[in-house]
Amino acid sequence: MSVSTEPAKLDQLEQEWGERPSLHSWFSTVDHKRIGRRYMVTAGIFFIIAGLDAMIMRTQLARPNATVLSPEEYDQLFTMHGTAMIFLFSTPMFFGFGNFLVPLMIGARDMAFPRLNAFGYWVFAFAGIVMFSSQLVGKAPDGGWFGYVPLTDKPYSSGINLDVYSLGLLFLGVSTTIGAINFIVTALKMRAPGMSLNRVPLFVWAIVATSFMVIFALPALNVANAMLFLDRRFGAHFFDPAHGGNTLLWQHLFWIFGHPDVYIIVMPALGIVSAVLPAFCRRGVVAYPLLVLSIVTISIISFGVWVHHMFATGLPQLSYSFFSAASTLITIPSGIQIFAWLATMLRGRIVVRTPFLFLVGFIVTFVLGGFTGVMFAITAFDQQVTDSYFVVAHFHYVLFGGAVFPMLAGIYFWLPKITGKMYAERLSRWAFWLIFLGFNTTFFPMHISGLLGMPRRIYSYPGDLGWDVWNLISTIGAYILAAGLLLVLIGVIHAVRRGAPAEDDPWGGDTLEWGTASPPPPYNFAVVPPVHGLHPMWDERTTTALATGKVLEGHQAMTTSELDGQVEGTIEMPEESLLPLAAALAILVVVLGLLWSWYWMAGVGALFVFGTVARWLWPPERSPEEAGVA
Amino acid sequence: MTAVVEEATEPRALASEMPAGRTTGWWGMVMFVTTEATVFAALLGSYFYIRFQSGQWPPPGIEDPKLTKVVIMTALLLPSSVPVMWAERGIRKGQRWRLRAGLTITLVLGLGFLAMQAWEYSEDLKKHTLTTDAYSSLFYTITGFHGFHVAVGLLMVGWLLAASLRGSFGYRRHERVRLTAIYWHFVDLVWVAIFLSLYLSPRL
Amino acid sequence: MPTDQQVRKTGGLLFWFAVLGGALSWAVHLFVAWGVDETTCGGGHTDVAGIPLRGVVAAGVVLPALVTAAALLVAWRGWRRASAAKRSGDDPRMERTGMLLLVGLGADALFLAIILAGGAAVLVFAPCQR
Repeated sequence: MSVSTEPAKLDQLEQEWGERPSLHSWFSTVDHKRIGRRYMVTAGIFFIIAGLDAMIMRTQLARPNATVLSPEEYDQLFTMHGTAMIFLFSTPMFFGFGNFLVPLMIGARDMAFPRLNAFGYWVFAFAGIVMFSSQLVGKAPDGGWFGYVPLTDKPYSSGINLDVYSLGLLFLGVSTTIGAINFIVTALKMRAPGMSLNRVPLFVWAIVATSFMVIFALPALNVANAMLFLDRRFGAHFFDPAHGGNTLLWQHLFWIFGHPDVYIIVMPALGIVSAVLPAFCRRGVVAYPLLVLSIVTISIISFGVWVHHMFATGLPQLSYSFFSAASTLITIPSGIQIFAWLATMLRGRIVVRTPFLFLVGFIVTFVLGGFTGVMFAITAFDQQVTDSYFVVAHFHYVLFGGAVFPMLAGIYFWLPKITGKMYAERLSRWAFWLIFLGFNTTFFPMHISGLLGMPRRIYSYPGDLGWDVWNLISTIGAYILAAGLLLVLIGVIHAVRRGAPAEDDPWGGDTLEWGTASPPPPYNFAVVPPVHGLHPMWDERTTTALATGKVLEGHQAMTTSELDGQVEGTIEMPEESLLPLAAALAILVVVLGLLWSWYWMAGVGALFVFGTVARWLWPPERSPEEAGVA
Repeated sequence: MTAVVEEATEPRALASEMPAGRTTGWWGMVMFVTTEATVFAALLGSYFYIRFQSGQWPPPGIEDPKLTKVVIMTALLLPSSVPVMWAERGIRKGQRWRLRAGLTITLVLGLGFLAMQAWEYSEDLKKHTLTTDAYSSLFYTITGFHGFHVAVGLLMVGWLLAASLRGSFGYRRHERVRLTAIYWHFVDLVWVAIFLSLYLSPRL
Repeated sequence: MPTDQQVRKTGGLLFWFAVLGGALSWAVHLFVAWGVDETTCGGGHTDVAGIPLRGVVAAGVVLPALVTAAALLVAWRGWRRASAAKRSGDDPRMERTGMLLLVGLGADALFLAIILAGGAAVLVFAPCQR
């Protein structure tokens, strides 16, 4: 607990930083903790919708020749399930974690750009609403989450569905990119004094690596989507071979984004594993430098494996080889992480609580997914199982195992910090076992049906191919999984409304967020904590300073140097503002104008975008002395 | 030179903190420019991907892009980075007149660039449009997207000029000038890449 | 006599070459080797401006491999020296340097392995064999 020896100063800080609860403040908040929670709740809602999409699909596939869904409905469901899970749930959920935790873990008072942070949230929310609305009116994207041309190009897809896809993702991309920039700058400049790069928590390393991946990967997707939109709406020929275009261009651009994207999804989750494990092993993660090595190299190598999604497109074998090599050798840093975590468990004193159970579930599931993954790196094997349910099994093992299990561990672990309430341990253990059992029952049989030849993305199947029993088991598993996830939701809601109040540091954690109240005050830290090592909350020098050090007064935050965390100065942080919301609404107007072909509306929207940004960044008037005139 | 490298491999030198001391705004703009540069890299990559697999380039029916206007455009845009730098150096010493003059010159040069581009388009569009061929789709999208970036840059320069006329900048406060300059230099560099790729290299 | 500033700047650049040199060099290798192979074969040729495709791809393997090896050596040497250097009490500079050079060492080794593993295919496949 950060009890300063100057209580009056704490009141002043509360006044400077506190946002009075009101409707206005709900729209104008720039507090990273509120924005982070919002990301998580909104992403959670999108997860439920995308999950229900899957439940309907599994119901259709439970038996051969079922008639629950038409092929067209099925196409929209599997497209929205994939697109929403990847773009509207997983990355935003982890950006929510990052938003809440990164400033706290580095000892900062907020993100580097608080208003930009709010803007990023609004754009994400609006993009999600636009995309899901299309489902409500039966015009959801229906070309798969990967949108391959020529199917998604004119004349094969002439409805508005795929315009929702390309414009929706372009819209969302603004949010993702801005969030990434914010994380990078925050982590570079706002770390506590003494927090040199070798003392940065692994979760922060993971979020920064993710953000760099976003910076370099999103452009490829944006270019692809822009080209698709221009082809469809204005008759361009990027992907039209009859007029000099190339259909493989789409696949290259998409997967140059798409492969790093799966690491963009999983990397923050791996960061959560490194953050949660120490508390339940009563020691820091083993071989910190090797984990940093893994995070950095995985992020970079992820850009050099994309053609492994195209092994069946007839490219030269020599070209494939470079990507096969990288895809195989990326398992080395991935493996290093797993072994480091296992070593941490072996060398620590294990304390079993629900977060730890989810970490173990993660290791089992992610490693299984990794095994099948490395099988795919071998071109010859890949060409046998491509586009079968074997692939579906693989990526659910790595995505659910690699992202959802750690996410759930993180939700239980940080619930006390975020909400100030503790969850109920027994209910959460039931949730874990139902989820673990349900997940494996759903997805393990898909390895088998895939090897037996069942293709992906089919709305139904005949009854005499040996796939029936595996599909039925999968569907039963899906219902068990859903029950487990429902228990998570119930548990979280129950904890928030009626849970036992949580202490500041219920787990005896090692990172700085445990040095604040639960939930933290609006200013996070009254005293900027000096950092002397990797585990600041296990270091008396830091904990003493938090309790008795000098308060940093005012609406200020401290900046330090990029590599070594040496103090540089303080910066004034911005107040609440409605401009981020206004700017996001203006972009929404542009997107809808383009979507509905009301180009005048898009133009007006663009003017409003410029206007709000110009107002937002307008410098204050200053006297000549203040500005410094010669 | 070898003496420098010798000493530079000493631990003390390797440990020198580089980069250090940049502002949050600087990093934000640099990261933004990095992601935008990647967009142009993806566009140019797509251009070469299609070009190197096509036979004749430009395809039959479309002529090589004309150089005259484009050379003038280059002569307008590239030097326009200089007044911005001159303006920035000036305001770092508190010389407001230098800031205003430099921004104005850049604004005029940039507008000249866009005017020439509009003229170039008006002639080109008579011969081929976005919908003629993949070549044209690429040509107009790449040059158009760049022109859009120039336009945004000019809006930034104009906005900066307005703020400077209001008296917001001096030797203590000039970060926005620097950030706008970074963006403007980036727009210039992208033009060089486009000029070399789309206009010059087909003629080699 | 080299100035202190010159030495520091060169030291900083060498540091980053050690840490990220392998990664950058591998990226160049990947885009050149793959890009030249796919687009040349896709256009129906087996040579690039007169030079046989196999040679161009091989150059796109060997040259980046040499640069990566150089980065690896700088990282190795730098890490050894940084580990041996005196650390001052609470100044984390040397530890930070040492850790990042170790990361660079591992990264450069990994990228060299990837370049060589993929590059070996040049000896096995004809450039446009599908």
